[in-house]
Formats: sequence, C-alpha cells, structure tokens
Amino acid sequence: MKRVVILGGGIGGTTVANRIRKAVEGEVETGQVQIQLVDRDGVHAYQPGYLMVVFDKMRPEETRRDESQLLHKSIQLVKAEVEKVDSVANKVLLKGGKELPYDILVIASGSVLHPELTPGFVEGAHSFYDLENAKKLRSALRDFKGGKIVVSVAGMPYKCPVAPLEVTFMVDDYLRSQGIRDKSEIHYTYPIPKVFGIDTVAQPMQRLMGERGVTVHIPFNVDKIDPVAKTVKGVEGETIPYDLLIAIPPHRGADFVGASGLGDKGNWIPTDRYLLRADGKENIFVLGDATNIPISKAGSTADYEAETVTHNVAAMVRGEAPTSRYEGRVYCWIMTGLAQATYIKFDYLHPPHPPTPSFVHYWNKVIYNRTYWDLTARALF
Amino acid sequence: MSETEPPPATAVAAPPRMVVDARGSWCPGPLMELVRVIKDEPVGTEFELLSSDEGSRKDIPMWLEKAHHELIEVRPDSGFDRYIVRKTHD
Repeated sequence: MKRVVILGGGIGGTTVANRIRKAVEGEVETGQVQIQLVDRDGVHAYQPGYLMVVFDKMRPEETRRDESQLLHKSIQLVKAEVEKVDSVANKVLLKGGKELPYDILVIASGSVLHPELTPGFVEGAHSFYDLENAKKLRSALRDFKGGKIVVSVAGMPYKCPVAPLEVTFMVDDYLRSQGIRDKSEIHYTYPIPKVFGIDTVAQPMQRLMGERGVTVHIPFNVDKIDPVAKTVKGVEGETIPYDLLIAIPPHRGADFVGASGLGDKGNWIPTDRYLLRADGKENIFVLGDATNIPISKAGSTADYEAETVTHNVAAMVRGEAPTSRYEGRVYCWIMTGLAQATYIKFDYLHPPHPPTPSFVHYWNKVIYNRTYWDLTARALF
Repeated sequence: MSETEPPPATAVAAPPRMVVDARGSWCPGPLMELVRVIKDEPVGTEFELLSSDEGSRKDIPMWLEKAHHELIEVRPDSGFDRYIVRKTHD
C-alpha cells in the first residue's frame, strides 16, 4: 500500500487531497493507496473572505467550515499539530507522540502570522489577516468618525500581495458611503519606490490612488509602531502619525518546517518552481504559501499548483516519473471599491495587465466566494 | 527560489553569493524579493537577482541607491537581466 500524507487543511491541502483522491480513485477503493490529511484543528478557513468581513460583505461564519465536510469520505482527517518531518525515515511526527509514515508527502502548511516581530504591532495596529482581527477592524471602522488612516506593510513576504491596495480602496469607498471622507485622510505606504511590485499594476493603481485622494509614501519599510504616540516609523526615517493603522503583519513558514531542516531562514521550503518538489527530496511536494517560489502567496496560486502536484503524486503512485509542470499561473481579483474590482492574471512568462475596474469583475469575485467550497475545496468540477 | 553558493576554493575567500531567481515574479515582483532576502543575510553578502521584468532596470537601481546598498553590475542575459548586488549595512 502507498501512503500519501498531506500536511495542512487550508485551500492548497484540501483541494490537493480531493484531487489526488479523484486521480487515483481506483487505487484508493482497492486499498492500494491511503490518503491522510493532517490539520491542526479541523476547521477550514477561507482566508480571502476576511477582507470582505471587514466591510460586511461576508459574515464571519461564511469563512469557515468543518474540514471533514469538505474532504471526500475516503480521506482520513488527522486532527493534530505537526512536530517534525523526518524526511530520512519518511515519517511525520505529531505532537503527542504519534507518527505517520508516508511514501509521498505533500506539504501545504501555509504561512503563520508573526505580528510580534514588529515592535508595537500587537498593541498599535489593526489587521485583517485573521478572523478575530478582521472583526476588530470592522468595529473600529464603524466607530471611526474621521481622522487619519494609514495602511502599511510590516514585513515580507506576505500573503495576498494585492491586499494592501484593496483595503485602501475599500476604506476610501466606505468613508465616502459614511459621509466622512472629507474629514479623513488615507495614507498608503509600501516598501519599494512604487505602490506595487511591477509597473503594469503599479501605474494604474497609483493613478487610482491619485483620483481617490490617497497620499502615497514610498519606499517605506516599517521599523516600529508607537501605540501610545500613535505613530508608525519607517527605516527610511519618516514617521507618520495615525488615528487608525491598518497593517499587514510579518509572515513566516510553519515552525515544523524549520524544526525538520526543510526550510530557509523564514521557514519557507526551497521548492522546484516547475515540478513543485522540495529541493533534494524525491518524495516531498510543496504547494501554496509554504514554498519559497517568488510568486504570490495566494489561494489561486495554491489552487493552480494543486493541479501539478496531483498529476505528479498520481504518477509516483503508479511508479512513473513526475513530469507535470506548474507554469506560474495565478489569478487574483483586486477590489477597487466596495462594489467594483479588477483582476490580475499571469504566469511565469506573461505579466498581468489589469483591466479597467468594473462592477462585473466584483460580481465574479462574489460568485467565486460563494462557489469556492464546491469548485475549489471539494474539487467537484 | 534562492540558494547560497559556497565560495570557490581559492586562497582569497570570496563573499557568499545568493542566487535569487525572480524570473516570472510579477506579483509581488523581483524588487520585493530582493528587499525580502537582503534583510535576512549578513553584511557583505552578494546577491545575484534574476529578473525578467523590464521595470527592474529602473526600480532596482533606484531602491539600492535609496537603501544605500551597492549595485555591482547589471548583466543582460537571454530574456532576463542579472543584478549583482552587495549588502553594505544592516
């Protein structure tokens, strides 16, 4: 029997588990292949929904489901925390002492938020990268009567690279809807000398910020936050006072990645950008935020990568060489207001060219948010 | 993807050089990759950043100048450029 173990029950882990099950359905039914998925708490979080929660576009409960409802019944869900991977003995050590041997391992352990790495972040900044903080930011915006809102990125890499743009445009629209935009300032900071990583996106986005009256501070790398004085200081020397700070916390890969000797300094796993195999490990595949591939840490990245990992795992199960290649495909919407959006679509060879923002793109995003559970997580189509 | 190459076995030790292959990195972008890795490595480390983004020709030198790190060389290759960079301070 071949044992396939998947670590992580987020977007990447869940969809790849269901897809592998479909790809080797016959072998699973006859007991030749066993699929196990390890998840910390058995609760599946649809993280792209958190930004929508902030602006009452989704209810908090719409962002969560039991993982057991999403996985095919033939996949065994193991609720446990991973202590370490022993990639020599081919086994996963779980906290509590249990061990899971594997023939093929898929790591989809995502990224972990570390706000404590930026001094003053926990006390002084709002965020929307986890559900509890998204709800707190929602309350803070409801109480906001005017003043200075600052949007900052406090560490790299961070998931959903377009999120700082989105929250800026949505805050602008929200303040207008409340009739307090003229009593407010919005300031956007970014670590490089433009508002986004490449010109084809940065130029239209900076133009839009100009039209919306957003003040841009670039380059600005957050050094520390003073929650008493209510200031955010950049390493470049600039200090910006705020009434409400919305910041992206520093991210790291999962702790067990470091403990297993599989990661770089940030616990990201060095990964072949095409085969999605961990460098130097024949039987370990990686997808989603957990890789060190220089591409968006985003749900759609994990979704597209899952196609490649599925093909390659199925090939190895059948004793064939993994040959499927991930070509760098990503598709992300960018909210440019409360009810308008654009999108970026790209791969390794073709950069994105976002179209003019419109209501239609926003509705496509809304439809995807509602069909995610079947379309992506359960991989029904 | 990045890797640190061991120094060549010569009498004079060359600084460690980290290759950062950011070809096809449209989001978050090659400069963001450089900013990320440069923070984690010791002063004196050299980086060889591979970028296929034409915008890098402008924004990488601009950022290095503002951040006071050294741009040693830009080497055009087939469909991409190699930026050789040295970290000069913490």
